[in-house]
Amino acid sequence: MFGSLIYAARRSVRNMRQSPFLCGAAVGTVAVSLSILALFAILALNVQELTRHWSEEIQVTVYMDVPPQEEALGEWIEKIEGYPEVEKVSYVSRGEAFDRFRERLSEDADLLEGLEPDILPASLGIGLKENFRNRAGAETLIEKLRENPSFSDFRYGQEWLERFETFADMLQMIVTVLGGFLLFATLFIVSNTIKLTLYARREELEVMALVGGTPLFIKTPFLLEGALQGTLGGLMALAGAFVFFELFLLEGLAALPFFSGLYGIIFLPGSHQLLLVLSGTTLGLFGSFISLRKFVRI
Amino acid sequence: MIQIYNVFKSYQKDSAALEGISVKIPKGDFVYITGPSGAGKSTLLKLLYGAEKPNRGQILVNGQNITRMRSARIPILRRCLGIVFQDFKLLTRRTVFENVSFPLEIQGRKRYEISKKVYQALKTVGLEHKLNRRPLELSGGEQQRVAIARALVVEPLVLIADEPTGNLDPQVTLEIMELFKGANARGSTVLIATHDREMIRRFPRRVISLDGGRLVGDRTPETFSVPRG
Repeated sequence: MFGSLIYAARRSVRNMRQSPFLCGAAVGTVAVSLSILALFAILALNVQELTRHWSEEIQVTVYMDVPPQEEALGEWIEKIEGYPEVEKVSYVSRGEAFDRFRERLSEDADLLEGLEPDILPASLGIGLKENFRNRAGAETLIEKLRENPSFSDFRYGQEWLERFETFADMLQMIVTVLGGFLLFATLFIVSNTIKLTLYARREELEVMALVGGTPLFIKTPFLLEGALQGTLGGLMALAGAFVFFELFLLEGLAALPFFSGLYGIIFLPGSHQLLLVLSGTTLGLFGSFISLRKFVRI
Repeated sequence: MIQIYNVFKSYQKDSAALEGISVKIPKGDFVYITGPSGAGKSTLLKLLYGAEKPNRGQILVNGQNITRMRSARIPILRRCLGIVFQDFKLLTRRTVFENVSFPLEIQGRKRYEISKKVYQALKTVGLEHKLNRRPLELSGGEQQRVAIARALVVEPLVLIADEPTGNLDPQVTLEIMELFKGANARGSTVLIATHDREMIRRFPRRVISLDGGRLVGDRTPETFSVPRG
């Protein structure tokens, strides 16, 4: 079994050396197709990162008519931090709220002259964990917070959140549809290229069968060849995407005002890189498998 | 060696490629299958090496009923056959040596054994000095000799040839026929489909005649034809 595999691997390499053009066509097609997919994935990842960044702004603000005692405040914060939806809690006293308001007014701050700092209520700013940064998460938390009679009012930027959710849903749909379309196109192009390369070698397949080759014996080197070409194509796609990212995307995306809120434009993480190369392997293997079913007949 | 009983084969509903063929070919026989184009010669050979299955009837090769054989067993059957075609069917990207060694590689033979046998087979057909050439660098006659070496290298029980000299000139045809005679002398049963009457006249052997898919004659050099069906 092991010896047969070694023999099949040797024949795969020999086949590729003997048909460099066909081999190059298959590797090139996989590389180009997967590069496009990789660039799309980089764009999608960065847009997702952007929406995740924006979602950090989502928080529930709890207003209190009467400023709490320090001891009670400590207990409330501890209890709220124990809720599964909550990431962090910060207290804003009346004085701090007044100062912030003054800062925000900047040049018009003199409008506040003569007013006491206690015109604004004290509040708790509650940051939500990523999974709960939506209307349902905010409302579930508010339901729990209502149990405390000292909390008089709750706000979570409902309108903004609705718009944000619509945008995020639309983005998700675009990514899914375009990504699916690209994936299908890649599969179609790669499997057809492999089919053509095997079609060019159909006589070889016929001769192998005529001199007593079993289907497994005939197919194994071609399957290995497909997997190897796919892997090579995947690696080339990764390298190509990286070069394109470094030369154009990194600065190009960062220059867009849309992305200015991000700390940095990101490349595909390690898991995605591995997935890309393995996709190449799978495409090569699958493309060969489908085509061989058609061409190898005993 | 080969027993064919009442075999029918049709590719289309209303036209039969073979109709009720029954033939026995003993071990070590040398047989021509002849007839005009469309007589069913190639179809009969295809049935013998399992590329086609008959619609009716039974075919035994070396005691094995190939009409009942699972398709997984067909490659095993072919390993004891040598098959030669009019268009040679050589792997053009492989060298002469690689082409001839291929059937032995499939059988999982050891490398040194392969080298020895391939060299011997190439020597038999007179091409041992061209083992590193590729088929397209050779003449038609030489390519056919490579194909014969590939068939002989497995020491076949049955050597099947479909119009092996169809594309070759008379001088090369003589050389090729000498190779088939040699293989037959070493024990292989030889079946050659041909419509070359001159070849049959110069190398007289048993002749099975087909016409329109029917067996119309079966004669040895010592007897006259016995019309059938």
